[in-house]
Amino acid sequence: MSIVKKMLNIDGRILFVIMFIAVAFPLLHPIVLPMVIQPYSQQAYDFANSIPNGSYVLVEGGNIAATDPACGPALSLFVYHMMTKNCKLVFFELTAEGAFWTQKEINVGLGKLPASVPAQNGVNWVNLGYIAGQESGAAALAANIRSTVSKDYFGTSIDTIPMMNNINTAKDFQAAFWFGGSEGSVPYGVRQLVMPYNLPLGASCTTNEAPNYSPYLQAGQLKGLFAGVRGSAEYEFLMGVPGTALGQSMATNIGGLYWLILILLGNILYFISRARGEK
Amino acid sequence: MMDWVFLGLLVGSLGMIGAYTVLIGENPISKAVENIYMGILSGYLFAMNWDFINRNAIANIQANGQYVYIISIILCLMLVSRLNPKWIWVSRYPVALTIGVGMGIAIRTTVIADFLTQVQGTIIPFNTLNGIVLIIGSISAITYFLWTTNYWGKATGSYHYLNQLGRLFLLVAFGVTYGQTVSMRLELVVGTMYNILLPDVAIYSYAFVVIIGIVLYYGYSTKRIKWYKS
Repeated sequence: MSIVKKMLNIDGRILFVIMFIAVAFPLLHPIVLPMVIQPYSQQAYDFANSIPNGSYVLVEGGNIAATDPACGPALSLFVYHMMTKNCKLVFFELTAEGAFWTQKEINVGLGKLPASVPAQNGVNWVNLGYIAGQESGAAALAANIRSTVSKDYFGTSIDTIPMMNNINTAKDFQAAFWFGGSEGSVPYGVRQLVMPYNLPLGASCTTNEAPNYSPYLQAGQLKGLFAGVRGSAEYEFLMGVPGTALGQSMATNIGGLYWLILILLGNILYFISRARGEK
Repeated sequence: MMDWVFLGLLVGSLGMIGAYTVLIGENPISKAVENIYMGILSGYLFAMNWDFINRNAIANIQANGQYVYIISIILCLMLVSRLNPKWIWVSRYPVALTIGVGMGIAIRTTVIADFLTQVQGTIIPFNTLNGIVLIIGSISAITYFLWTTNYWGKATGSYHYLNQLGRLFLLVAFGVTYGQTVSMRLELVVGTMYNILLPDVAIYSYAFVVIIGIVLYYGYSTKRIKWYKS
């Protein structure tokens, strides 16, 4: 068997071990590669920045265990960003798992805030918790919060939460942000918040979902999009608050470069093998 | 007092390393992690959904006398009938209702949100390179699926070139989707590795790798675990 054929038939496990090393190295020894801010991330940052101080913002948290490392940093940073603008945040989640991970990222975001910024549960933010029903749940919540959910994530009655006094429909909010993870729920936000209530909407999702949402960005239905760990890293860079996403994005870059080399090498070796007439 | 976050990271690290052993080949450790994960996730989802019903339906009946929620509780119970094959037909009613309501709610804005505004968004930016590419790509990709002029055979004439251009755009789109999917999977690996390589956790992660390595080596060398061949 020729060397070309041997390389084409290499055991996948060897490639995985090299991938492991390629990804682990930049995590253990952080290196910084040049980064260009993507237009969608810039738009999302500009949108978040343009939300007037003191606004009520509706936030969907759809990250789960698998997507939280990539998209969670953007959510925690969004909490930090909005709190420094004295905005009131109302969170809800369309996945059961998302309720836990959203609360975790809220805590991370609150932990970064200086002591002078008010960030009291029930006064500056409230987590309504898991809402069953997917798109139907989102539509019901947008139409009437109290008929959809009566207690928040911690079991507190919504009627006793001060910041919810005059808030009951999507009309009461000035903006919304949809952290959809990989659940594919961002179109729910477009269909149930943007179209019926004309609520400006920004979003975050995993990298693979980004191409699906570009038509919404093109049409102006989404004001911006943080896509994957790179989107989160760019948000951290634009905010000037370095976090976990910047370190991860460098590891992703190295891993992506390795994958690209494998694809190129695989194609070159395939054509060499074919030119030699090897089977 | 026990630090639950740290304990969670340790358990997560052990679980992740155990799950990744599937790269060597399916083995008892990877299967155990897989089953434990599925069991915990199912239990958690059940508990969360039960909590949602309890907070929003049962509590409202008890505290506010809103008996309309009894209907939703009955529908929930009907779903459980799936557990008995003889009664599975009962569960079809709440499923049909859920799908019907979901579709109805989605459709009311789908025409505007997913069709008209998309078309408008495609046509308007004609003055930019992106806009021109978008329009040509959209139209040519749609023409690729016009089977009425191209059925059973190859496209002919000028339509052939439009058809081939559409095919090219579709291939590029599929390539982008593949690239983005690989990138997303890579992000998942990086995310999990980030957690297991956190300074406080890393030393335990290395220990888990060694322990799992020894167990697997013992299993494979004594032929208690069958070696996987790729």
